[in-house]
Amino acid sequence: MYALPYLVLQRLRQAAINARRKNRSWHYLAWSVLAGLANAAMLVLGASFVLFLWSVALWWLAIPMLAILVVPVIADTLVRFVFVPGGHHRLAYHAALYSRPGSDPPAYALCVAAWAATGGTAVAWVSARREARRPLGDGEVAATALLAAARGDDATARELLRSLPMLVEDHPAVRELAGEWLACDAAERAAWSELCEDAARARWPATPLTYLLEGLAARYTGATTAPSAGELWARWALAPRHRATRALVAGALAIPPGTGAAPRPVDAAGATDPAEPVAAAPTPLPRAVAAHLAFEVNPVTPASLAYTVRAWDTALVDATTRQWLAQRALELDAPPGAVDRAIHEVAGAVTDDLARRAEAAQLGAPPGTAGPVGHGLSRRLRHGRLDALEAAFSRWADRRHDNTRHPAIDEWREFVALLTAYNAAVTAGGLELRRLAFPHAFSKGSNMAAWLWNKREEYALSHAISKWLLAEALVVGDAEAIELGHRNCALAIPTRLGRISS
Amino acid sequence: MKLADNPFFVLGVTTSASRIEVEREAQKLLGMLELGFAEARTYMTPLGPRERSAEMVRAAVAALRDPYRRLVAELWAHHAPPSQAEPRAPTPTTPPRAGLRRALGWRP
Repeated sequence: MYALPYLVLQRLRQAAINARRKNRSWHYLAWSVLAGLANAAMLVLGASFVLFLWSVALWWLAIPMLAILVVPVIADTLVRFVFVPGGHHRLAYHAALYSRPGSDPPAYALCVAAWAATGGTAVAWVSARREARRPLGDGEVAATALLAAARGDDATARELLRSLPMLVEDHPAVRELAGEWLACDAAERAAWSELCEDAARARWPATPLTYLLEGLAARYTGATTAPSAGELWARWALAPRHRATRALVAGALAIPPGTGAAPRPVDAAGATDPAEPVAAAPTPLPRAVAAHLAFEVNPVTPASLAYTVRAWDTALVDATTRQWLAQRALELDAPPGAVDRAIHEVAGAVTDDLARRAEAAQLGAPPGTAGPVGHGLSRRLRHGRLDALEAAFSRWADRRHDNTRHPAIDEWREFVALLTAYNAAVTAGGLELRRLAFPHAFSKGSNMAAWLWNKREEYALSHAISKWLLAEALVVGDAEAIELGHRNCALAIPTRLGRISS
Repeated sequence: MKLADNPFFVLGVTTSASRIEVEREAQKLLGMLELGFAEARTYMTPLGPRERSAEMVRAAVAALRDPYRRLVAELWAHHAPPSQAEPRAPTPTTPPRAGLRRALGWRP
């Protein structure tokens, strides 16, 4: 009388959750409501059955039935509202195991334990469980990221969570948690555009909280896909933490859809920098000095770099600058050639300053700059980055020979850090730098991928490296690397979810 | 940066100051620094106030004695915006919502 409806409801609930993970339209709300109703019905059925057993003095059967029928239904709620806020990492782990999160429940449970972990003992407990699970998969990477977040290292957490899509092992419940953390992090930084992009590309299956934050981001950025007021309130009703999100919803609704406070677009050459502080300066040299000053004190952006480079390139070739310098050189009795020497020296000093700050902000030289500063900056950034990349890839590949068996997560973190540096360099240096950097990266990366597959049996990690090398080979058009990449990526990857072919 | 340690700002003289005026101002500053005058310990630049030392004053005078080095220093100082009494603050950006992540159930 109880078992069959319960099993049907459980199937229905899981099917609704699976369908919801693939949707970001009004269907999401419909599937969520269906999953919620199924959940409530399961709870009523399970609790009634337990009470019935208890009332007929079968308490010894009621207790296991409580664990089997009721606990899985309320486990997720307990985790989110009791165990995680209370820092009960062991209870959170076991509750997550019983919440039926799909195949390989320990992966999700590990992440939940990392989410709840506070203090050294909890971190050590979670780390030990992570190390016991081999080979490396998305659950272990996400758990490491959440531990990093718990100790305040948001940058590492962000980097590791963003690396998850590279791993073929895909636990939807783990990806949901990762997406929610990134959405909350973006909302805290008011990085609404970043959140909008994640939503547009459907990078993560959305939890109700993620779905709400994505709607808010769309309203704040004025995206054309922004939800209406009614839909936003519906998302708010579905999501947890109503008190914390109410003000955000009210703030977003104050902006009419499609007219949000999106940042002013900047053209390809960065010509419309909102911080053009010296537009009123009459001649190029004062304009360049003022731009340089503004560049030094304000956060560096591609537009401000482009504007400063252009201002200097204009000022240093301008006739009024040369005329002023020639006159002062004459009055000061400066040696012959002082004007050219001074222009050269100023160009060098300016290039040094701009290159230092552009390197720190991981920016490339602005396109289409032809003056002395623009040329110098392009050359400096390209050469410096290429040398740094080659050294980093060599150091990475040398890890094979240092006779130390590093934990798999350390190997992944090393690769992710290298990848971040590579992407920053090639984004800044363009296709030319990419072509120059790829052969060395390919040589070292292929060796590491083979070593991780054959010696360390870290299949998902090795496959991620091969996949990245193949993608890069396709971009730069390296035929030999493309052929090898296709062969490597065609291998079926053993994971805890079975052998996966990509 | 060629503005924060520019010899003209260190000595507090304009770019039109003569060689004698530069020397006289430097002697005055060195004396004041020797006697520990508080007003001599800082100087104004377009980036805001900076600390001044006797070594900086001597280096600034030496730079302005050389016509070529003075020419380069003038290029920066003559065309710079006016000096600031307060440090230049960066242009304000959208304030992040501190503590929102915690309010939404995530650590820290």
